[in-house]
Amino acid sequence: MTQDHIIEMLLAFIAADDDQPDTKARASEDAFNEVALQLFAYQFENNKPFRQFSVQRGRTPRTARSWRDIPAVPINAFKELTLSCCPPEDAARVFMTSGTTLGGVRGKSYHPTLSVYDASMTRGFKQYFMPDRDRIDMGILFPTETIMPNSSLAHYLALALAHFGTSDSGYMMQDDGIAYNRLFATLDQAQMSGTPYAMLGASYSFVPLLDEMKRRGLSFALPEGSRMFDTGGFKGQSRELGLDEFYDQLAAGFGVPREKCINMYGMTELSTQFYDRGNAICPSVKSGPHWIRSRVINPLTGEDVPFGETGVLVHCDLAHFNIVSTILTEDAGVETEDGFRLLGRADGAEAKGCSMAVEEFLKAAQA
Amino acid sequence: MDFTDKVVLVTGASRGIGAAIAKAFAAEGASVAVNYLQSSDAAETVVAACRQAGGDASAFQADVTDSEAVPVLVNNVLETFGKIDILVNNAFRPYVFDPENRKMFWELDWSHYQTQIDGALLSTHGLCKAVLPDMRRRAQGAIVNIATDLVARPTIPYHDYTTAKAALIGFSRNLAVETGPLGIRVNCVAPGLVYPTEGSRDTKESVKDMISAQTPLGRIATPDDITGPVLFLASPWSGFMTGQTLYVDGGLVMS
Amino acid sequence: MTERAGYLPGLTDDEVDWQILRFGGADAPLEVAVPVLTDAQMQAMAERVRVASRDHLKTLTISQIIDIIDRAVARLLDRKDPYRRKAEEILPIVTGYDAEMIRLGLTGYLKTFRKPELQKFTVEDFANPLILDDFQPMPKGGFARAFGPDILTHIWAGNVPGIPVWSLVSGLLVKAGNIGKVPSAEPLFAGWFAQVLSEVAPEIADCFAVVWWKGGDTAREEALLKESDVVLAYGGNGSLSAIRDRVPVTTRYLAYGHKVSFGAISRAALDTQKAADTAHQAAYDVVRYDQQGCYSPHVFFVERNGRISPQDFAQYLAHELETFEKKYPRRALSIGEARDMATWRHGEEIKSFASKNRGLIGNADSAWSVAFVDDTEDLSPSGLNRTIKIVAVDALADIVPRIAPYKALLQTVGIAAPPAELYALSTALGIAGVTRISAIGHMTAPEAGWHHDGRFNLLDLVSITEIERSAEAAADTLAPYAD
Repeated sequence: MTQDHIIEMLLAFIAADDDQPDTKARASEDAFNEVALQLFAYQFENNKPFRQFSVQRGRTPRTARSWRDIPAVPINAFKELTLSCCPPEDAARVFMTSGTTLGGVRGKSYHPTLSVYDASMTRGFKQYFMPDRDRIDMGILFPTETIMPNSSLAHYLALALAHFGTSDSGYMMQDDGIAYNRLFATLDQAQMSGTPYAMLGASYSFVPLLDEMKRRGLSFALPEGSRMFDTGGFKGQSRELGLDEFYDQLAAGFGVPREKCINMYGMTELSTQFYDRGNAICPSVKSGPHWIRSRVINPLTGEDVPFGETGVLVHCDLAHFNIVSTILTEDAGVETEDGFRLLGRADGAEAKGCSMAVEEFLKAAQA
Repeated sequence: MDFTDKVVLVTGASRGIGAAIAKAFAAEGASVAVNYLQSSDAAETVVAACRQAGGDASAFQADVTDSEAVPVLVNNVLETFGKIDILVNNAFRPYVFDPENRKMFWELDWSHYQTQIDGALLSTHGLCKAVLPDMRRRAQGAIVNIATDLVARPTIPYHDYTTAKAALIGFSRNLAVETGPLGIRVNCVAPGLVYPTEGSRDTKESVKDMISAQTPLGRIATPDDITGPVLFLASPWSGFMTGQTLYVDGGLVMS
Repeated sequence: MTERAGYLPGLTDDEVDWQILRFGGADAPLEVAVPVLTDAQMQAMAERVRVASRDHLKTLTISQIIDIIDRAVARLLDRKDPYRRKAEEILPIVTGYDAEMIRLGLTGYLKTFRKPELQKFTVEDFANPLILDDFQPMPKGGFARAFGPDILTHIWAGNVPGIPVWSLVSGLLVKAGNIGKVPSAEPLFAGWFAQVLSEVAPEIADCFAVVWWKGGDTAREEALLKESDVVLAYGGNGSLSAIRDRVPVTTRYLAYGHKVSFGAISRAALDTQKAADTAHQAAYDVVRYDQQGCYSPHVFFVERNGRISPQDFAQYLAHELETFEKKYPRRALSIGEARDMATWRHGEEIKSFASKNRGLIGNADSAWSVAFVDDTEDLSPSGLNRTIKIVAVDALADIVPRIAPYKALLQTVGIAAPPAELYALSTALGIAGVTRISAIGHMTAPEAGWHHDGRFNLLDLVSITEIERSAEAAADTLAPYAD
C-alpha cells in the first residue's frame, strides 16, 4: 500500500456513517480490524525501528489477527526512536511533546500531511463538543500555531477556531499571558447579549484565570448553551487542583454547569482525541470516535486486565498512520461499558522494602 | 495443546512425516514455516492444509545442508513470523528402505556414510546454530530432532542411514546439556517404519507384515502416529524433559 | 480472618481504637487490626516504657538480656511454636512473598540472633560489653559506662519480614525502652516478637511497645517523637527528611535511607565449570525478597574475556531466574509496580534497538527480565521485582568511576573474585561509599553484627558517661582512709 492509498482509506473510514449509539461496540470490530491490520502492515514495512520493535515482541503483520495483537509502542520510544513511515524530512509538520522528562528530550510525531489529523479532529470535535450547533463564539486561552508550531494542541485549537468559531471568536492571549481585560469584557458582552460562549484552553490556563477573577472579585453567569473545554491537566504549569475542585470553580466562576464542562484527553502521540460527556461526576468516562479504540492492560504482560480493574491505557488510533497507530501510554485507567475512566498518570510505586526505586534514585543523585 | 501464537519451523515438511508434523502443529493454532527443497507444489499443498486446519503457514525453500542457505532461511522465517519457538529437524537425504536390495557393509564406501551424516547431522547442526540467537534472547525454545528406532534395534542394518541417526541422538544429548541452562530443550523422536512415505513406498508387504508381527501394537506407524510425541516434546507438557529420545514404533523397541 | 497488630503494655484491646488493613486476594482474605492511639494514650505508654526500662531492663546485665533474646528467638525458630506457625501462615499473605522463601528467610535471619551471635554482635561495638553494666576502666585512664536511651523510637518501613527485629534487638542490648512504629506494609511481625519476649521474660514486658499510625499522621508522630531520646527511622529520603524536621533538635536522629547494591564478577568465576554456579548464586540474590532489600542487587558488573562472556552470563542468569520462578514464584505485583517494571523493560528494549551492544532477555510473560549492556554504563537502579542488568567491564576496577556519583546511596557489593582482586577492589569500593562486601549469593543475608550502612548499630544508640582520672584522684583524697 502506498501512502496515498492509506490516506484515502482513512479519510473514507473517518467519514463513514456512524449512526450507532455511543458505545465501544460502534464501528464494527471487523471493519476496524481490517484497517488496523493494513496499517500495521504498512508501518511494519515502512518504518524500520517499528519493525525491529515488533519482531522483538515476536509479532509481525503475518501473525496479528486483530488490532489487539498489534504491539503497543511505549510513548517513551517516541523520544528515542524516529518513528515515521515517510522520511522525517518530508514531514509537513512535526508535533513534539513538551519535553518535561528525560533530560528535556522531546518525543516527535511526523505528519506528512495534516489532512487525516484535521479530518479526525473536526469530526471528533463536532461529535463531542458541538453536537447541537455548527458554530459558537469562542475564546481560546492558548498560544497560536504561529507561536507554537510544534504543539499539536495549538494546531487543534486553531482548527476548532477555524471550523467551529464565529467571526466574533479569537485568542484571548497577549505577550505576558491571558488578556484578562479583553476576556472579561467579552464575557460581560456574552452575558448581556445572551449569546452562548465557549472557552477553550489547557487546564492549567484556567487556574491563573480563576485566581485573577478571585482577585478582582469577578464571576460570570454565561448564557445557556455556553460550554467550557479544558485539556491536558496541570503538568506543573500551574497549581494542581483536584478535579472536583477545578470543575466546581469553573462552574461557579462562569455559570456553566459541570455537565457542560468538557475535558478532552489527547496526546502528541495520537491524531485523535477522547472526550467526556461533561464532568458532573469525576473522574468522567472518556470515549473517542469510531476510528480509535482502547484497551486497559497490565503493562508488563500486555494482557487485558479483567473488566473493571485498573490498568494502563493502550490506544489504537487509525488516524496516526505515519507514526505508529498503537501506543502504550503512562496513564492509568479503568474500562467501563462505554469507554474508560482516566485515572491520571500511573504513579511509580515506592519499593516495598528499603531498596531504591528509579525515581527516588534520580532525585537523590541530582541532589 | 494450544500452539496459538507459537511459531514452528519444520524442515523437510513438504511430504511424509514432515508434512504430517506441520499440519498437526497448525491444527493446534501454530504458525508453521514449511521448509522444502524441491517440491514447491507439494509444499504449497501442505501450507494450504495447515491454513485449512486452523493455523497459519508459509513455504520456505532452502537446502538445509547448505551452510549459507540455512541462516537465510531462518532470517526469512523471523521476518515473516517474528520469532521461532520450535524447531523440528526432520529433513534427511533421500534413502530407500528396501531390505532385500540394501547394500551390505562391504559394499558401502565412506561416501555413503558421509552423505547420510550430512543429511541428518550437518543440516541439524546448521539449523540449531541459526535459531539459537532468537531462542536465547527469549530464554526459551524447543528443538525436536527426528531419528529412527533402528538406532536401538537395527532390525535391518541400514548402516549409513542408521549410523547418521545414531550420531544425531548423540548430538542432541550434548546440545541439551549445553542449552539446558539457557532454557532451551532438545529432544528426539525415533519412529519405527512409517508407511506411507517416500522412503517406504517400495517396502514390500512381507517386510511390513514381519515388523507388524513383532510389534506389540500389531501394525506399523503412519505419519500421523509420529506427530503426537513431536507436539508433546515441543509443548510445556514436556517442560522438564530434555536430551530424551521417544521411540514411536508400537513398542518394538522398549528402553 | 482477623489478626491484631501491635503490642501495647498497659492498654487493653477495648481501650484502643482499631483500624482495619486488608491483605490477600479473594482466596485468602486477611484483615489486620492496627491500633490507633490517642495522644494521651501514646504519652502514657511512653511514660510506662520509660519507667519500666529504668526499673527493670537497666537493672539486668547484658548477659541476662542476651539470654532473654536467645529464648525468644529459640521460640520463633521452633516450627511448632504458635507464633512461628502464625508467621509462616500469615506473612506470605501480608507481604505476597512466596511462603517457602519466607520460611527459609525467617530461619536464616533469626539464626543470626542466637546467643553466640548476639555475643559477637555486642563485642563488635563494645570491646568490653560489661561497659553496658558498670563503669569499666579505660585505656586512657578513668572509667566509662554506656547508657542506653530511656525511649528509643523506631520508625520502620517496608515489608521485608523481620527487619524490625534487627533494631528492636539493638535497642534491648543497650537496655533502651523501645517504642516501634510498624509500617502498614507489614504491621505484624514486630508485635509478635514483642509478645514472645514478654512471655519468656514477663519482668521486662513493659519495657517495649509496638504501635502504628497512618503514614503522614504527623500529629501522632510528633506526640511520640517529643518523648524520645533517640529516633531510628527507615524509609525513603523524602519521608526521612520529613521526620527529621519533626525530631526535636536535642534528640539524636539516626536515619537509614533506601540504598542501592550491586554485584561484581571477575572472569575467574566465569569458566565453563564455575559460571553456572555463579549465575545461580547471583540469581538467588535477585530473587530473595524480589529485590526489595537495600542489599538487593540492581546491576552485576561482569568482566570480559572470561571463558563465559558477560552476554552468556546474562543468559545463564536468565535461566536461573526462570528456574527460581518455579521454586520461589515472584509475588503478585500492584499495577504501579507492574508499570515500573514495564517502564524499565521497555526502556532497555528501546535502547537495544539503537545499539548492537545492548539486549534484553525474557518475554512479556516472564516474571523476570535481564538486560545486557556491553558498553560503558553507570550504575542505575533496576525496575525491581526481578529485573537485573548485566554490564560488561574490562576489569572490575573500571566499576569505580561508574558508581562514584552515587556515593551516598551505596550499600552492599557482592563480589566473586580471587583474594588479591577482592582486597584491592574493596579498598576502592570503600572509598566510593560502599559499606558492605559479601559473597555473591549472600548479599541479602548480612551476617550477625554487620555494621548497617557502615554505622555502629549499638554505639550509635548509647551515650557514654566518663569518670575522668582527676575525679578518681580527687575522690581518693576525700576517702575516709586517706592519710
